[in-house]
Amino acid sequence: MDRFVRENVSTVRLGLGSEDMETSVVIKNVTKKYKLYRKNREKVMDLILPKSFGQDFYALKNVSFEAKKGETIGFVGTNGSGKSTLLNIIAGIIPPTDGVVEVNGESAYIAVNAGLKNELTGRENIELKCLMLGFSKEQIKRMEPDIIEFADIGPFIDQPVKSYSSGMKSRLGFSISVNIDPDILIIDEALAVGDKAFAKKSMERMNDFKERGKTIFFVSHSTKQIKNFCDKVLWLQKGEVKAFGPTEDVLDEYDAFIKMISKKPKKKKKVTEAASR
Amino acid sequence: MHSIGQILKEQILYFHLIRRLSLFEIKSKNNSNYLGVSWEIINPLIQVGIYWFVFGYGIRGGQDVGGIPFFQWMLAGIIVWFFANPSILEGSKAIYKRKTIISKMNFPMSVIPSFVIFSKLYPHLGLLAIAIVTFQFSGYPITIYYLQIPYFLFSTVILLFSITLITSTLTTIIRDIQNLIAAFMRMLIYLTPILWVTRSLPDFVQMVMKANPLYYLVEGYRAAFFGQSWYLFEHWEYTLYFWALVFILLWIGSKLHLKFRSHFVELI
Repeated sequence: MDRFVRENVSTVRLGLGSEDMETSVVIKNVTKKYKLYRKNREKVMDLILPKSFGQDFYALKNVSFEAKKGETIGFVGTNGSGKSTLLNIIAGIIPPTDGVVEVNGESAYIAVNAGLKNELTGRENIELKCLMLGFSKEQIKRMEPDIIEFADIGPFIDQPVKSYSSGMKSRLGFSISVNIDPDILIIDEALAVGDKAFAKKSMERMNDFKERGKTIFFVSHSTKQIKNFCDKVLWLQKGEVKAFGPTEDVLDEYDAFIKMISKKPKKKKKVTEAASR
Repeated sequence: MHSIGQILKEQILYFHLIRRLSLFEIKSKNNSNYLGVSWEIINPLIQVGIYWFVFGYGIRGGQDVGGIPFFQWMLAGIIVWFFANPSILEGSKAIYKRKTIISKMNFPMSVIPSFVIFSKLYPHLGLLAIAIVTFQFSGYPITIYYLQIPYFLFSTVILLFSITLITSTLTTIIRDIQNLIAAFMRMLIYLTPILWVTRSLPDFVQMVMKANPLYYLVEGYRAAFFGQSWYLFEHWEYTLYFWALVFILLWIGSKLHLKFRSHFVELI
């Protein structure tokens, strides 16, 4: 069986044709609107009545950018600036309210312990997660040894995941995601846990991905990690693109901005958590 | 029509997924018990004992039902209930409870209620086997009428799928509906001829009770076990009604599911 057929209502997910083989992801004027309700009653009214209730909240406003094959793009921004929303939209998990998303290839989304089931063993979780991603039984059998070797958690692989430390969980999660060999890798703070040795191993694997022409999207609050690793940086601020360009330039600007807002912490830091979903 | 086709196509295309996921579902539910998966059988058997004591021995005083001992009569019906009840209750929660599946992966979501139902199918098959052995040694040996059992089993699965396709979508939109379903299921066991005999009721009341599709399945299983009749042909009007109802439910369910599934993530 082939991987799941993607079927998305408002998103275009096609090969981009021969005109530009180098483009991997194109985001054009993407907007994501959430509704904030003050009471449960508003939620029900909004659902039933044609009139709109509740307050509109824009997690993303008119975001546009392009990613080429082999590029690594870091996303920076304060909490609630829309980074995760944008990653989710690229991964095809949530549809955008408006705009066009073109994704050329298969994407894998990695977040800390995403989709691991506590009651099942590591080995069962590997099969479960690969099944969910649309792999066949034979494909999974072939991938399993590599995943176990990369995760390197010893006899714990046959223990229930609930007995794992958080580092072990993220090792397993990361190992599964890199071994499914996606064209586009989307990493959401997943490298924050795990020890130095594993982080180094992960970085090597990601550099390997880069060399093979895969696109990587990377969210991290560590500017050091981004500086070491990303070619370009997209800076989001309140759902809008504040800057997009070579890592050095954007990060300098961003650092200056962070310094500025931390000097006067009282003002301008009211950002809603809803956007970070 | 088109939506039913699409939903059924997904079920066939991802059938191996349904099978594997249903096994993981059972495993993850019972992994921490010493007796593990056997609880899926032990639990219903304990309930059968209690129901027999209260309704058969206590209330009916051991009187039989149209020539069939109460215990056998009840067992034939209640195994359908032990399949339908958890399937509907957990199938309705299926989507909103699986936030991680839905929010982290690109996944054909219409198989979520199906694998929940499938995870309940294995214990049902176990209970079915236990019931058949019980009947075999208590005067109701296997007859040609047993050929109806696969048909009724299939009908049950399709009915449960159609119902949970609707309810799993509705509960994701409005969580309160789950409470409504739970309350309704608590009533339904008494509105189906499982624990008590409805034959003494006025005819029109019995007619109204037959609107419940589980009535058809319970009576069908019984007819097959006790070699009474070819239920699906002898009551062909009822068979037609059942399938018309299944078709309507499936149509509504498919429409709802396809309409809302791209919004599930936001609704959770």
